[in-house]
Amino acid sequence: MDLFLVNNLIWMLPLICVFAFLIIALFSQYIPTQGAIVSIGSIGIAFLIFIFVLIDFVNGGLLPIHSSFTWIDLGEWQISWGLLIDRISIVMIGLITFVAFLVQIYSVGYMKGDSRFGWYFAVHSLFAAAMLLLVLSDNLLLLYFAWELVGLGSYLLIGFWYEKKSAAEAAKKAFVTTRIGDVGLLIGIIILFKASGTFDISSIIHVAQEGGISNDVIFWSSLLIFLGAMGKSAQFPLHVWLPDAMEGPTPVSALIHAATMVAAGIYLVGRMFPLFELGPGILTIISIVGIVTFILAGAIALVMTDIKRVLAYSTISHLGLMMLSLGSFGAPAAFFHLVIHGFSKALLFLGAGSVMHGMHDQTEVELMGGLRKKMPITSITFLIGTLSLAGIVPLSGFFSKDEILISIWEYNPWFFPVTLFGVFLSSLYMIRLYCLIFLSSARSDYSEKAHESPRIMTYPLIILSVLAVFSGLLAFPSPITEWQGFAAFIDDHHKFHMVPWITAVSIVVAFSGAFLGWVIYGARKIEITAISKPFKFIYQLVSRKFLFDEIYSWIATKIVFTFARWLTVFDRVIVNDTGIDGVGNSTKKSADRLKYFQSGYLYNYSLVMVIGLFLMAIIWWVIE
Amino acid sequence: MTNNFSLLIPEFLVTGLAFLILSLDLFVSEKRKDYLVWVGVIGLLIILGITLLTFTNGILYQGLLVFDDYTNLFRIFFLIAGIIVLISSNEFVKSNIKYKGEFYGILIFTILAGMLLSSSSELLTAYISLELLSFGLYVLVAFDRYNMKSNESGVKYVLLGAFSSALILYGISNIYGVLGTTRFDEISLMLTSIDDLNPFLILGFIFLFAGLGFKLSAVPFHMWAPDVYEGSPLPITAWLSVGSKVATVSLVLRLFCESLLQIGNEWQLIIIVLSVATMLIGNLGALVQKNIKRLLAFSSIGHMGYILMGISALISVNEDGSVSTEMTVLVINGIIFYVIAYAITNFAAFVSVIAVFNHSGQDSISDFAGLSKRSPFLSLVLVCSMFSLAGLPVFAGFTSKFYLFNAVGAQDLLWLVALGIVTSLISLYYYLMIARQMYIEKGADSAPIKVSSSIRIILMVLLVAMIIGGGFPSPLMDLIQLASEALIS
Repeated sequence: MDLFLVNNLIWMLPLICVFAFLIIALFSQYIPTQGAIVSIGSIGIAFLIFIFVLIDFVNGGLLPIHSSFTWIDLGEWQISWGLLIDRISIVMIGLITFVAFLVQIYSVGYMKGDSRFGWYFAVHSLFAAAMLLLVLSDNLLLLYFAWELVGLGSYLLIGFWYEKKSAAEAAKKAFVTTRIGDVGLLIGIIILFKASGTFDISSIIHVAQEGGISNDVIFWSSLLIFLGAMGKSAQFPLHVWLPDAMEGPTPVSALIHAATMVAAGIYLVGRMFPLFELGPGILTIISIVGIVTFILAGAIALVMTDIKRVLAYSTISHLGLMMLSLGSFGAPAAFFHLVIHGFSKALLFLGAGSVMHGMHDQTEVELMGGLRKKMPITSITFLIGTLSLAGIVPLSGFFSKDEILISIWEYNPWFFPVTLFGVFLSSLYMIRLYCLIFLSSARSDYSEKAHESPRIMTYPLIILSVLAVFSGLLAFPSPITEWQGFAAFIDDHHKFHMVPWITAVSIVVAFSGAFLGWVIYGARKIEITAISKPFKFIYQLVSRKFLFDEIYSWIATKIVFTFARWLTVFDRVIVNDTGIDGVGNSTKKSADRLKYFQSGYLYNYSLVMVIGLFLMAIIWWVIE
Repeated sequence: MTNNFSLLIPEFLVTGLAFLILSLDLFVSEKRKDYLVWVGVIGLLIILGITLLTFTNGILYQGLLVFDDYTNLFRIFFLIAGIIVLISSNEFVKSNIKYKGEFYGILIFTILAGMLLSSSSELLTAYISLELLSFGLYVLVAFDRYNMKSNESGVKYVLLGAFSSALILYGISNIYGVLGTTRFDEISLMLTSIDDLNPFLILGFIFLFAGLGFKLSAVPFHMWAPDVYEGSPLPITAWLSVGSKVATVSLVLRLFCESLLQIGNEWQLIIIVLSVATMLIGNLGALVQKNIKRLLAFSSIGHMGYILMGISALISVNEDGSVSTEMTVLVINGIIFYVIAYAITNFAAFVSVIAVFNHSGQDSISDFAGLSKRSPFLSLVLVCSMFSLAGLPVFAGFTSKFYLFNAVGAQDLLWLVALGIVTSLISLYYYLMIARQMYIEKGADSAPIKVSSSIRIILMVLLVAMIIGGGFPSPLMDLIQLASEALIS
């Protein structure tokens, strides 16, 4: 395929989803299935486009495909809109289009009978468009635009059932919390624009590498951009919104709050990595934030009893692991884990949705149990997702985690033992979740009467579980093709390699976590209270999520609101009454007075014209 | 020197088309007269094709008419605008106008006048083209014969128009009396050769500016505009606000760029004063309007203020009093882009108003209450055009304002730009008032509005053009760049 065509084709990726959004939003009631078919069709076509582009990209020797046009050209500086396909963005596009496609199909079954069925798919299309634009954009301005649009999609979908107060609150919380990061991102972008004179990412990095930006500027702008990434990727301490975001429909959690949008932060750090490298200490900060998130969220996941919240904390925890990997020069490993986690977590969320579908929307694991027999497909696929995420050999999660461990050992050896503890936690809580839901016997009427979900929901589960099993093989170089392993695909300098003792340790740790989980929750050999008793304080602390919500709401009510109340007075009296209303009223008054000039009489009009003539003459003669 | 009359083929064809429609009007039965509009549309489409295919540069009648990239851009503009105004007046004319053939015939003559204005490079030729435009409009404004308001506005327009024509003629005669020429290039030559401007020459220019200011509805020569806009048949209001304005701008740009640049230090202040007054009065006046036609009249006065701001910034005066034309091309680019964006957006607004009027027969702002429920499509287009007129991003109105303001700022007139931004903010208020009526207020009538497919297509095209003009203006800017360079060389 010639380059010209591909250049245009990549524009179709976001555009086709935008069109789908417009069509569904405007004409939903005239389309069969209320527009779901348009949404699924458009994302399906986007996936096909991805395959074409991928083929072309590989045939072109993995060279970036760039297409841009000038928006505003003012000679000295210009703003252009451009899309870029490179090794990172192609991976993201594949993940986004594929998972979104499956999730939308699944949603047809899950959302059946909802009163805003069409709108749901419209927002899904909007989100897909924004997400694709985000990963494709070649400049920070467009990226920021997409970044906010993604946030909007997330907001609309979390609060999709806005009649429920908790959903509306959760949507607000997500929006406000991520906004803290977004402000940082925006300031960072502006600083970089001031320093380099361009929004174009590769130019900025080029200027920085040539030494055109001072270290201080790089440090602060990187830190602020990383703040944006922390907000979107729910990193400690901005992670509080993600668990609440589970108020949205479950397929939304699978797509947005597990596989794609929360990965945007990882993507951003990966994209700006050459800049971050130059900033003194930035990578250490990223690593620390990552590891703290990894451990804290893992600990909380262990005590949550809501199926979706366990998965949410597990997502936060794994995003922390990816950040840690990025901070340890392990960008390829981080992206590998991003993809595999995306598949596995989407699978788990969709599985959770299937469980909820069979359980009349109950999410409390205490009410479940024994679903293995009643929901066989969900149970098996969920088990696959669980094992993959727990990092059990030979499922895909094992391979990506292994690569991350290697890069941590090579660049951040001090973090290595703590990371292993996190790995242990993550296999423990995953097995716990599986055991509580599917093993032993039914603990409530709901689980007694649970039933398997329709095929439109189970097929996506099966497809995702196949990927969760086999996608780990991408790590290995292929003997027959030119494939050098995933790491080398992302970055030529990262050759595939294994460190046998790390692999062995990781296997042992993951297995011991899983075994312990099975002993406690599956076989019930050890009473849980026996363990938690000596650590009552810690248990309390963890189960109250380290009091983050309490601290934040204290800060919000005591400090922010008090300060805000003072500001309100200022705003009311000075800004509003004097400033805005004052200016507005005087403008209106002068407009009102002008009205009387417009008398409607011809002789008045011509008189004004004559006066105008005289004034012009006076200006010319007297003033010039 | 022989004249190459093939340069005038589009103009000849448009004249022929007008006569064809006028004579068909005599023969066809009353019922079939509804099809005359399509004769006009198809005719204009064919002429558009011919114009695009056969364009060559050249001059006619020893330089009375100039055909360059600038002419061609505006020719194409007027043909397309003519097609839009014909299609959008179709339904209105069917139900409101009695003499359909004459209506369309005269309308096509005004298209011809616009095309000629952009090519005239001599004052009297320009004057005649301007009169061709005005006479057509005088008739069209009063065409709704049994409507008192239409009659009133016709009388006002023709009397004040005659006054302004007299000003222009008097100005031209003064200029001719002093300089001995009316050709733009010769005026420019004469002006460089004399040191001090003769008072009669100055008087001539002032009269000329005042007359042209009337056509542009620049304050204080604007007072006819709201009354005439309100009384005219709606499609003619649209044509007044787009066609006649753009035609005059095309003349003014050529006049200033080809003959008056080097005495820029003399006229700059006057144009600035006109521009400030026009921006302020236009946008303030719009705040208190209750009728959408009057509101759009004031809004178009305000927009002419921005155009005048551009004209005043065509040159910059150095500290020693000399005139610098380094950035002139940038400013011309800004002005041309601005008028085109303004035309697209204003058409979109007016055509949606026409569609509502065809259904309800009402044109006060409160009648738009609840429009979003009655016709989501119309209100979408209308709200987008309001955003574009106010200069909000992604729409052509934003990008064009950005280019124009940037160019004016580059000429060291930042305070003028600041005033432009403030008045744009004021304009946002009344544009949003319309949006509020459509989306928030509840209307008394909730019956859905039927929009004919021809108007629907026109609106779709305009909406897309608005968005493309805002998001992807570079192809258009390339054309405009050619036109500006043709004007300056």
